[in-house]
Amino acid sequence: MGYDLNFGWNGVIGQVILGATRAEGGTRNISYRIGGGTTLPFLEGTPSSPLPLVALEICDNPEYWSPIIRNYCGDLVYSVHEWAEAAEKVYDADLVRLYLTSTRQRNFTDISAVGKTVEAVLSSTGLPLIIEGSNEPKIDSEVFLKCGETAQGERLLLGTAEAGRYRSIAAAALAYNHSLIAQSPIDINLAKQLNILLREIGVPRDHIMIDPYTGALGYGFEYSYSAMERIRFSALKGDTDLAMPVICSAIDSLTIKEVREAEPVLQDEMALQWEFYTGIAAAVAGAEVICVRHPKTVGLLKKAFTCMRTSTFFSEVK
Amino acid sequence: MTDVPIAKKNGETRLKTMITTIKHSVSYDETAYHLPISFALTGIAVHDQKAALDVFGKTDSNPLVASECILAEKTAAEGRESAPYTGFIDDTIIRKLGYSLVDGSILGLALVVGSPTSADSASAICRELQEKYMLTFLAGDIVPSLSHAGVKLGLEYRLIPLGSTPAYGIHFVDIIARVAMMFGGVTPGDISRLLAYAKERAKAIVIVFPGLSDQEIAFVDGMRVLGFPILSLGDYQGGDWIPATPEEVVRLGMEQKGIRVNITAIPIPMGCSPAFEGKSIRKEEMYVEFGGGRSPAFELLRMRSADEVTDGQVTVIGPEIGTMKEGGAYPLAIIIDVVGKMMKKDYEPVLERRIHNFVNYGEGSWHVAQRDIIWVRISKEVVAKGVKIEHIGKLLAGKFRMDFPQLLDAVSVTLITDEAKVLEAKNEAEKVYAERDARIKGMRDADVNTYYSCTLCQTFAPNHVCVITPEHPALCGAISWLDGKIAYEIAPSGANQPIEKGAVINAQNGEFEGVNKFVKKASHGEIDRCSLYSVMEYPMTCCGCFECIALMLPEVNGIMIVNREFKGITPSGMTFSTLAGTIGGGAQTPGFAGISKNYILSDRFLQGDGGIERLVWMPSQLKEELKIQLIKKLADQKKPDLFEKIADETIAISIEDLISFVERVKHPALTMKPLV
Repeated sequence: MGYDLNFGWNGVIGQVILGATRAEGGTRNISYRIGGGTTLPFLEGTPSSPLPLVALEICDNPEYWSPIIRNYCGDLVYSVHEWAEAAEKVYDADLVRLYLTSTRQRNFTDISAVGKTVEAVLSSTGLPLIIEGSNEPKIDSEVFLKCGETAQGERLLLGTAEAGRYRSIAAAALAYNHSLIAQSPIDINLAKQLNILLREIGVPRDHIMIDPYTGALGYGFEYSYSAMERIRFSALKGDTDLAMPVICSAIDSLTIKEVREAEPVLQDEMALQWEFYTGIAAAVAGAEVICVRHPKTVGLLKKAFTCMRTSTFFSEVK
Repeated sequence: MTDVPIAKKNGETRLKTMITTIKHSVSYDETAYHLPISFALTGIAVHDQKAALDVFGKTDSNPLVASECILAEKTAAEGRESAPYTGFIDDTIIRKLGYSLVDGSILGLALVVGSPTSADSASAICRELQEKYMLTFLAGDIVPSLSHAGVKLGLEYRLIPLGSTPAYGIHFVDIIARVAMMFGGVTPGDISRLLAYAKERAKAIVIVFPGLSDQEIAFVDGMRVLGFPILSLGDYQGGDWIPATPEEVVRLGMEQKGIRVNITAIPIPMGCSPAFEGKSIRKEEMYVEFGGGRSPAFELLRMRSADEVTDGQVTVIGPEIGTMKEGGAYPLAIIIDVVGKMMKKDYEPVLERRIHNFVNYGEGSWHVAQRDIIWVRISKEVVAKGVKIEHIGKLLAGKFRMDFPQLLDAVSVTLITDEAKVLEAKNEAEKVYAERDARIKGMRDADVNTYYSCTLCQTFAPNHVCVITPEHPALCGAISWLDGKIAYEIAPSGANQPIEKGAVINAQNGEFEGVNKFVKKASHGEIDRCSLYSVMEYPMTCCGCFECIALMLPEVNGIMIVNREFKGITPSGMTFSTLAGTIGGGAQTPGFAGISKNYILSDRFLQGDGGIERLVWMPSQLKEELKIQLIKKLADQKKPDLFEKIADETIAISIEDLISFVERVKHPALTMKPLV
């Protein structure tokens, strides 16, 4: 197209390994090396980087989940076991992201149940797992310890570390050799600072994925995009403290006004489309893992990524 | 009395003999680290005498290695000791312990060995260790002594009985060696990383009661190499052991190793959070007020020596709130005394400014201004809930400890409400203020080799880098060189980083090799050069927070300044906000620079462009604000008439008016080297 796509970048995005097969000491059917890019994704004529992975988000207490998903999935949401199985076999996700929403109940203390849930999900799917711990600092320590311990050897991705709250999750990652998600509120400097804090506590760079915080399209996504772009540019220019793969989860897509107020018959489609386009935009900004909640978004995104890589997408659009 | 150096020498000889008598094969189950100390030090897996001697030789006859091998053989030959003793601890438990250390639920590790002379003082020491979130390992007669005193032992009580003799204390070291390998990324055999980890990361202390054998003394003393302070309770002399009394031993040990207990909640009957910071207390909501011109009031933060400050102590001198009339104004002195190993006198003013934030964190307390012009209010609402003057002190003591855990070891607060005593103390405070001003004023850029950066604004100005020097404050005016220094010390990975200025490239413009290198990196490769004292050549980038803008006016060969408060048009043909929009966002724009007000008074002001003689115009309000200091400065520089030659909006709004004014007054800028 006549554009010079050599930007003089010399940095490489670090690689994070998720999941461990039996040969690698775990029980997964597959493991992924995420990252490794040297430029932006989907550029014509550049060495093709691996396609972004798509994770389906599920939870162990659907009370805290969007009614759109509950309606679409039906009884499935009441069995984390079947839901995880369906994520792999029916919906064709690359990864499963489990939210331990059960821990959000007031005065939650049943830590052993957390272990059982993690075991159940590990046995129902062979995909690598992302696990989101508690929302409550008081029980963080026990919850992450339990997750880390139960899934020792499986190379999980644990979420989510923030500037004021990263010790428990870092400890679980260190103790049981998992990776973690470092989230900062749409701010390149805070993202970097958190990575430095994590490094100081001993978490190696190749065990960190950056979550720049993803707003929904039309609801702050442009800020997320800008933060992601700057994080990626800095990394490619050689800033190793930011050279980690990026994970995005546009969960707000399901609760925005357009979806909430859509006609009942259109609501599902509206949510799906919003999630899809937010996911596409995040992938274009360079995200390596896109997390979605609507099962149908998984297939749509995967198809789109394949088309985009081969550039047929553009000719189709024309 | 046991002489430590002599006993140690004898002990080491004895250990040397003992290790050669190892006959059985040695190994522990449930570990992937063989004999962990030997493995961590050399990478060699010891399972028999040959390997043991090999490691012993390779580590210069290290008593820790000998003790580990000897105890391992003993355990292999005689079996484990019975409960409650744990002996060697499995990897799975170590993983959990390490987790608690990283997680912060355990602050540090302690080893207590020997035979206490009194069970009471032994249990008091262990209770104190428990209360301070230390995980304590016990070896020797201390264990039965505690059991008899009714102290519960076990992992859940954070008191772990390793074995019946002090020699079992070696497990303490094998635990730390494994934590270093599991969590610290230490590869077996990398001695220097292991030692660095033990010294800097492992927060461990050792407390020694009497009754150790020579080889046990040799082993305990061997832990000094790991950077653990050895505190002895009587019966030992000489060597580098720190003598202590039972009352002070825990505090002393934790201090030595820099282990601090974090405060998480402040026990006062009102909310305390940054969320309340912006809330003001209006006259009708207020119960009482202090200062604000209505009564004498001041605040002062002082560095003290350790024996002068009792941590958390709050003293109120004078009447409490109960005897104050609603709606009244009363005198108040807020005096904060702080102690800290890393605390420096220079930090006093920076910390003192935090009083403002902290008092405002209180749900019903409000604070403005600083030093002896403070104004404090307490609301009716919280007085009804039981808030007293005392609680403001508690809030301050707690917040200072919470927010500066690395810097401050102890904080006490004195609040004076007795008028005569307030006035007396205020005289003293004023002397301190004057000393401080003199100290900061005296600092020159040439006196220091380290400047500080500020990239706080990169959130919205992605490539902006402020370079802060003693004579060049941040362009927002809010961060001085000292502030940058302390901010870095408090948050070493924060937005203020040290910059080694390096070789001089251009002394006149203030361009330094080190600064350029730093700016290049911090601006993500966008800015190659940065001169600190020039508006014309490679000026500093601008974020958007600058107090003033300095810009060249080629028509008069001079430079004008406009401050943020000035809303009118300037001789440049633009207003402040138009100018700000043009130069902000992190760009470098030759001919334009964002500056702080104080920089105008600096001797480095416009140094690269010919000095203050370049200054041709500034708004009258800014001129008035700086008048006294500026006139004095100009007089010192033998340019007493320059002040009157600087135009303002009452003299010239258009460039034409300005040209005729500067020509009429024969402004020195006209005859200077052409700017462009």
